[in-house]
Amino acid sequence: MNKLTKYASPLLQPLIAVLVGLLAGAIAIMISGGDVLETYTEAWKGAFGGFYFTTNTLTRATPIILVGLGAAFAFRAGFFNLGAPGQMIFGALVAALVGLYMPGPGWLVCIAALIAGVAAGGLWSVMAGYFDARFAVNLLISTLLLNYIADLFAGYLVAYPLKDTSGSAAMAQSAMLDKSVWLPKIFSGMPLHLGFVFAVVGSLIIYVLLKRSVAGYEIRMLGGNPLFALYGGINRGSMMIISMFISGGLAGLGGAVEILGSQYRYIDGALTSADYAWTGIMAALLASSNPIGTMIAAVFLAALQTGGMGVERNTEVPLEVGAIIQSVLILFISARFTYSFWKRRKGIKSHGTAV
Amino acid sequence: MEQLFDLALLNTTLRVLTPILLAALGGALCSRAGLFNVGLEGFMLLGAFSAIAGNYYFHNIFLAILFAILVVSVFSLIFAYLSINLRANVIVVGIAMNALAAGLTTFSLRTLFDVKGAFYDKEMVGLPKWNIPMVEDIPVLGPIISGHTPIVYLAFVIAGAMWYYFYRTKNGFRFLAAGENPLAASSIGIRVRRYQYGAVLANGVLCALAGAQLSLGQLTMFTEGMTAGRGFIALVATMLGQSGPLGVTASSLLFGFMEAVSIRFQGLALPTHFTQMLPYVVTIAAMFFFKDKSFVKDAQKQSSSSR
Amino acid sequence: MQLQMDNITKKYGEFSANRGISLSLKAGEVHAIVGENGAGKTTLMRILYGMEQPTSGAIRLNGREVSFTSPLDAIRHGIGMVHQHFMLFPSFTVAENIVIGNEPGKSGRFDRKHAIQIVEELCGQYGMKVDPRAVAGSSPPGVQQRVEILKVLYQGAEIIILDEPTGVLTPLEVQELLQAIKHLSKQGKSFILISHKLNEVLEVADRITVLRDGMVTGTVKKGETDARQLSLLMVGRDLEELKKKPSIPGEKVLEVSGVTLRGTKGKPILENIYLDVRAGEVVGIAGISGNGQSELLQVVSGLIRSDKGNIRISGTDVTGMSPKAIRERGLTHIPEDRYVWGANREATVLDTGIMAHHRRLQQGGLLKQKELKALVSQWVSKFSIKTGSLETRTQYLSGGNLQKLIVARELEQGAPFLIAAEPTRGVDIGAMETIHGELLKRRDGGTGILLVSSELTEILKLSDRILVMYEGQIAGELSAAEATEEQLGLLMAGGSIQ
Repeated sequence: MNKLTKYASPLLQPLIAVLVGLLAGAIAIMISGGDVLETYTEAWKGAFGGFYFTTNTLTRATPIILVGLGAAFAFRAGFFNLGAPGQMIFGALVAALVGLYMPGPGWLVCIAALIAGVAAGGLWSVMAGYFDARFAVNLLISTLLLNYIADLFAGYLVAYPLKDTSGSAAMAQSAMLDKSVWLPKIFSGMPLHLGFVFAVVGSLIIYVLLKRSVAGYEIRMLGGNPLFALYGGINRGSMMIISMFISGGLAGLGGAVEILGSQYRYIDGALTSADYAWTGIMAALLASSNPIGTMIAAVFLAALQTGGMGVERNTEVPLEVGAIIQSVLILFISARFTYSFWKRRKGIKSHGTAV
Repeated sequence: MEQLFDLALLNTTLRVLTPILLAALGGALCSRAGLFNVGLEGFMLLGAFSAIAGNYYFHNIFLAILFAILVVSVFSLIFAYLSINLRANVIVVGIAMNALAAGLTTFSLRTLFDVKGAFYDKEMVGLPKWNIPMVEDIPVLGPIISGHTPIVYLAFVIAGAMWYYFYRTKNGFRFLAAGENPLAASSIGIRVRRYQYGAVLANGVLCALAGAQLSLGQLTMFTEGMTAGRGFIALVATMLGQSGPLGVTASSLLFGFMEAVSIRFQGLALPTHFTQMLPYVVTIAAMFFFKDKSFVKDAQKQSSSSR
Repeated sequence: MQLQMDNITKKYGEFSANRGISLSLKAGEVHAIVGENGAGKTTLMRILYGMEQPTSGAIRLNGREVSFTSPLDAIRHGIGMVHQHFMLFPSFTVAENIVIGNEPGKSGRFDRKHAIQIVEELCGQYGMKVDPRAVAGSSPPGVQQRVEILKVLYQGAEIIILDEPTGVLTPLEVQELLQAIKHLSKQGKSFILISHKLNEVLEVADRITVLRDGMVTGTVKKGETDARQLSLLMVGRDLEELKKKPSIPGEKVLEVSGVTLRGTKGKPILENIYLDVRAGEVVGIAGISGNGQSELLQVVSGLIRSDKGNIRISGTDVTGMSPKAIRERGLTHIPEDRYVWGANREATVLDTGIMAHHRRLQQGGLLKQKELKALVSQWVSKFSIKTGSLETRTQYLSGGNLQKLIVARELEQGAPFLIAAEPTRGVDIGAMETIHGELLKRRDGGTGILLVSSELTEILKLSDRILVMYEGQIAGELSAAEATEEQLGLLMAGGSIQ
């Protein structure tokens, strides 16, 4: 019995949330005059209907997983890093710059671009961590505001100094990367690129790191009770810098693989309008910051988006129905109702006299 | 430089600070009730959209605002239920509300008006601008103060009323008590939850007004994500003002002024990217001067409160 | 009878906090309720004050049966409660704190001038002095308690419940409180006094009811009982005398010299502290909590930095080092608040247990899971810590069991110097005996122990030397053999002994 509740309760909650989310989606579909069953069938086809669509969904999930892992990592350490959008932009921008201007063989440039993307996202993130650790600038808010600054800054670069002048289009975007520096595809003819492997391996590494390593233990304790961590000899300041770097670095990697594997150039607004970063943060929240869970949640949320596109292609229902399902999901997950209900009952038993 | 700083700039300041001030006052109410509301951004966005939608369907500016208030109140109730009754993490609920608002407004934009990005209709009438007799003729002050929408004046009236409520009325006194020490307040029969619900609902009304000022105050249109971080800036204004009505008004003035300057710069030859950055940069800079309560205190509170 | 509680039972699931408790109170009477932690005192009072509803049983006021669904009901019926942790609004003034809930003023306005006047009248009527304009949060504990009592009187209470009222008071303030209780009971107010301090109870109570395991084990009249009989009723057995060998002090393991710490308002929190602890002795620090003891320990363990002074541990200067570095130099620390400093409620028993051991039992940055698990399960059996498993969340452990886990964790570091802050706060007598026994065993094994406790009995029982802290200074030093409670009490209150 005890074992059952232990394994079932963390699953039960996302399951109920998914059901409620789909229900909300159904209402939205009905409002926009669509047929619920048909729409959901189209959504399924758009997301997983065949090999191409499945790899397409996984391609979309790739940056979401990486960003989500980064967010989950920071949340575990108790830092509300909501700067993933900006960190991802910096990772993407710098990867694009390295890919464009670094001389040398293609594979080397590609690796250098990935590393530079990680460093750029990580450093942008560390800046907010440093402001908090040193000057007590609220991390949650500074990371949020830095997103706007990063977006505008990158937008400026590709609109003026780095603007692609070769094409006739007036779009604010950088020049296209040379084919030799692109990330290889996993299946020929399919959009899925090597970045997905990074994302899967990354999830496993972060999982082991958190669960089994000394640093992971310290990060979990810091997130649970900072004072206990301090008392036990864990240095909050350096842990903050480390975890913010890893967190932002993963977001930066997400941006870099998206550039090197899918878009091949930095296009102003392309990352923000696809909402990769926020979806990644949602995935982390959905999975209560469990790395493996974050990966699964990210694929699910990506499927909502690619499914939404399928819906839009073939029905009258707009693809934003996916966004509604997603946010209702999060809203319900945030309530943690089943769990807290269970906790309250259990809590009374053991604390009844201590109050 | 003299064209840069003139009376019109201060006039613009009053106009653009209003959404920030209203949301920040709402944020102050919430934080005094013990709820750190990150969802201001989303509530404001919902307000902006539903004000436009109401305007389009009712052809009446008053009904439009009423409709916005109604819509945002419904979402405020969800926020309140999740964070007060179900004790969800307030920050997570706030983030979720922002996501919900973004998703819902883009979805509705497609479904209701069949457009992407922005909605504009010639038929719609925006908020009236009040030229206050006598006042508008006062030199210097007149051109600054006169000629705004009623919501601008209302914002300042609300700030004053909030001060009176907090520091002069019994009910406001109990509100502050409920926020300062909920356990003690409930031990003498103060219904803490009721005050928390009141704060969240009032915040909803304020954010609806803030959104209406955004979408109906100047251009009478709605664009996706048009709040553009103003909710977060308002949150900083709340913190800087220590959740007191006067302090919040003062810090909103600062941020409003920066936004006005940013708008003014856009007329120059500079790339707009940097001028648009200005409000965010200044907001972050402002946080250096206001020290957030140290994490030790917060954590201590968290760990010992539920004992 | 003014108040009659009949056969009160309160169940939480399968656990019974109160089992058929009956209690009566006459007008003008002081009725004390004593018992160990977890005996059900607080639950019973929460029921009387409307914060909990009994599973069965009845409450009668002046012969009429009543049932309270909220504290407001109880207040309306003339029952007031002064909680153990004061229920004050620190940023409000004294007057505001007293009138809250029934503020003076017309048509919704709060008339603060009138409030001050009311408080001044109350002070006169009941012979208690407070400054209505002072800010409650910065008033001393004795004043805060008077504010609480005045608040309850202003609410019109005839029956006043005092829950552990003397925990934070100086001996002088305790005397003032006991006088006030006597004075008010002569004016016809009746009191229910919850306490575990038997000497205070014996001084002021007319009748004493003893609870154990949620049941009444006896009700006795003043003058017909003594402390020994009461403790027998409380515990159910005679307590074992703790046998203490004479200490054999060795090398200095801790040397604190000239430590000064200034507060935010410039007022010194610690002033020029000198003390040392030798291997194989227990140095006790007595004092009312809030006189700088917590800060002293935090400075020694590196959690905060002092403004001046030096700290050496086992001969190494550790001034300004990080908590980690200081631990590595030979410090281990039972913290004063197990939930704030000592544990992570969300984490498992295993994770809370391995803190600081995790740095020792690792290989290439990975935790040695097996060894760590073996270590913690060994403590669980050795200290008989009641837990579902090592994977149980720490928050589900009872206070005493968590405390034993923390004590085990710190003792097993095997460091030459140990800080033991409030090592038995809020634990039952069984756990207390275990912990005391372990501490003395370590002392005999050569560990130097710095003990901080607000319980004088604990200090006297364990220490070899006793220092008293008052307002951030060492007010005096006594050897344990010659120290008496009276002398310590005097020093704790800022007096001096010749």
